[in-house]
Amino acid sequence: MTKKKIKLYFQPDKVNEPITYHLVKEYDIKFNILRAVVEEKGGRLLIEVEGQPAQISKGIAYLQSIGVDVKEMNEYVMKDVSRCTNCGMCVSICPAGAIEMDRETWEVIFDQGKCIACGLCVTACPPQAMKLKI
Amino acid sequence: MKRTYEEINAKIQRGDAVVMTAEEAIKLAESNGIEKAAKEVDVVTTGTFGAMCSSGAFINFGHSEPPIRMKRVWLNGVPAYTGVAAVDAYIGVTEEREGNGPPYGGAHVIEDLVSGKAVHLRATASGTDCYPRKDIDTYISLRTVNQAYMYNPRNAYQNYGVATNSSDRTLSTYMGKLLPHYGNMTYSSAGQLSPLLKDPTLRTIGIGTRIFLGGGIGYVAWEGTQYKTTPPVKNDVPVGPARSLAVIGDLRGMSTEFLQPLTFTGYGISLAIGIGIPIPILDEDIMRTAVLRDDQLFAPVFDYAIQSRNRKPIAEFSYAQLKSGSVELFGKKVQTSSLSSYYKARIIADRLKKMIEESEFMLTRPVERLPEERTQRALDVCSREDVL
Repeated sequence: MTKKKIKLYFQPDKVNEPITYHLVKEYDIKFNILRAVVEEKGGRLLIEVEGQPAQISKGIAYLQSIGVDVKEMNEYVMKDVSRCTNCGMCVSICPAGAIEMDRETWEVIFDQGKCIACGLCVTACPPQAMKLKI
Repeated sequence: MKRTYEEINAKIQRGDAVVMTAEEAIKLAESNGIEKAAKEVDVVTTGTFGAMCSSGAFINFGHSEPPIRMKRVWLNGVPAYTGVAAVDAYIGVTEEREGNGPPYGGAHVIEDLVSGKAVHLRATASGTDCYPRKDIDTYISLRTVNQAYMYNPRNAYQNYGVATNSSDRTLSTYMGKLLPHYGNMTYSSAGQLSPLLKDPTLRTIGIGTRIFLGGGIGYVAWEGTQYKTTPPVKNDVPVGPARSLAVIGDLRGMSTEFLQPLTFTGYGISLAIGIGIPIPILDEDIMRTAVLRDDQLFAPVFDYAIQSRNRKPIAEFSYAQLKSGSVELFGKKVQTSSLSSYYKARIIADRLKKMIEESEFMLTRPVERLPEERTQRALDVCSREDVL
């Protein structure tokens, strides 16, 4: 099983397509919606998918075939180390436990893998070191 | 054991003073005892790096041709106060740029100046016989201005309250983002490294004391605003905000490593400033407080959902508990966050230690001691007669 975070972009005419249903039913993919925006110009969806690598690839191919723009995301929140003071304000804000304080060095450790791209740390960071990339 | 400022400075001059950061002195006192530690160590260094809203800088721009008596002045669009002489101004760190755009305030202007950038100056005036000019639009930098010095009315608070939120909505405060239903807790003191916690009655920190300020050298100018001596004490140290310092120091010589503009979403702008103060070990008593540990220093918790100056503490924790990452409040595990950087506080205490060891930083006896007793007054809506 592998896990991937992907960003989907829909044209307005595709917003009625039951794509998540197909992903589960046809490709046995587990998914978690991290972020969803629907507006006049279409919709954007950030999802975490989990399943067999081959099935994930097929699922992505299916999405592309119906005209959904798919982009694999490796980095959602970026930490600007030159601005981070290692205060730790973000540590208690992060609902995913992706940010931890190293109590030996007192440096803030950000684990991209656990990040769910909620963006709470972005507005909570006093020196504005956290930037949302999506 | 007694030691004088003169003896300590003579050792610093010779390069053989024994200097330790508060963390190192704690370890030494734990293994050898306070008596031996006091004998061995001449100076203990402290450090803090946190939001210090009551800060800003005086700048003298020099005179234009023809001269202007500035009535309104903006630095990179941020209003500065110029209700003093013709080309003097004070830029406060929390002042914000007019109009829309990304957060930018006095703190950013100071950061830009210290990093050597050009800053846009615009000023207007009514024009007088001696100062005929009515406006000016130009650029300044630390290279072009006469004086540019920080004068901060309240810095280096001796301890501070911890913030949490009982309400059902997120609060945007100067203590950071506070999640609903006691969702998190934020504290701001560096605890065992924080300057005024290590000499709690300010025996050695007073007017004229030389300090590490924003990467350069500064001095204690006065008691800080809202200085008070009345909070309850534990292990001789106030539990909650007590004494504070007004400090002064040249922007030239400071470094952006120790000055960081902060944006508190929904609240405003502030400046994190690095301050380090050396504690001369004059006797065992001062060593006893200099080596107080996080588990011996306490802070009260306030519920920021109560919008009143009279809110009472709802709990009390040691800095060891706060720094562990979570505490238990009303039977619930609550995650903690620090607003000041302990990482930077360590660097500052260490930097100051090196400066003293290398005879670059001499210690000073206070010219005057700061008040031994002081209560804090409140602002009430009164009649003219009430206030007399």
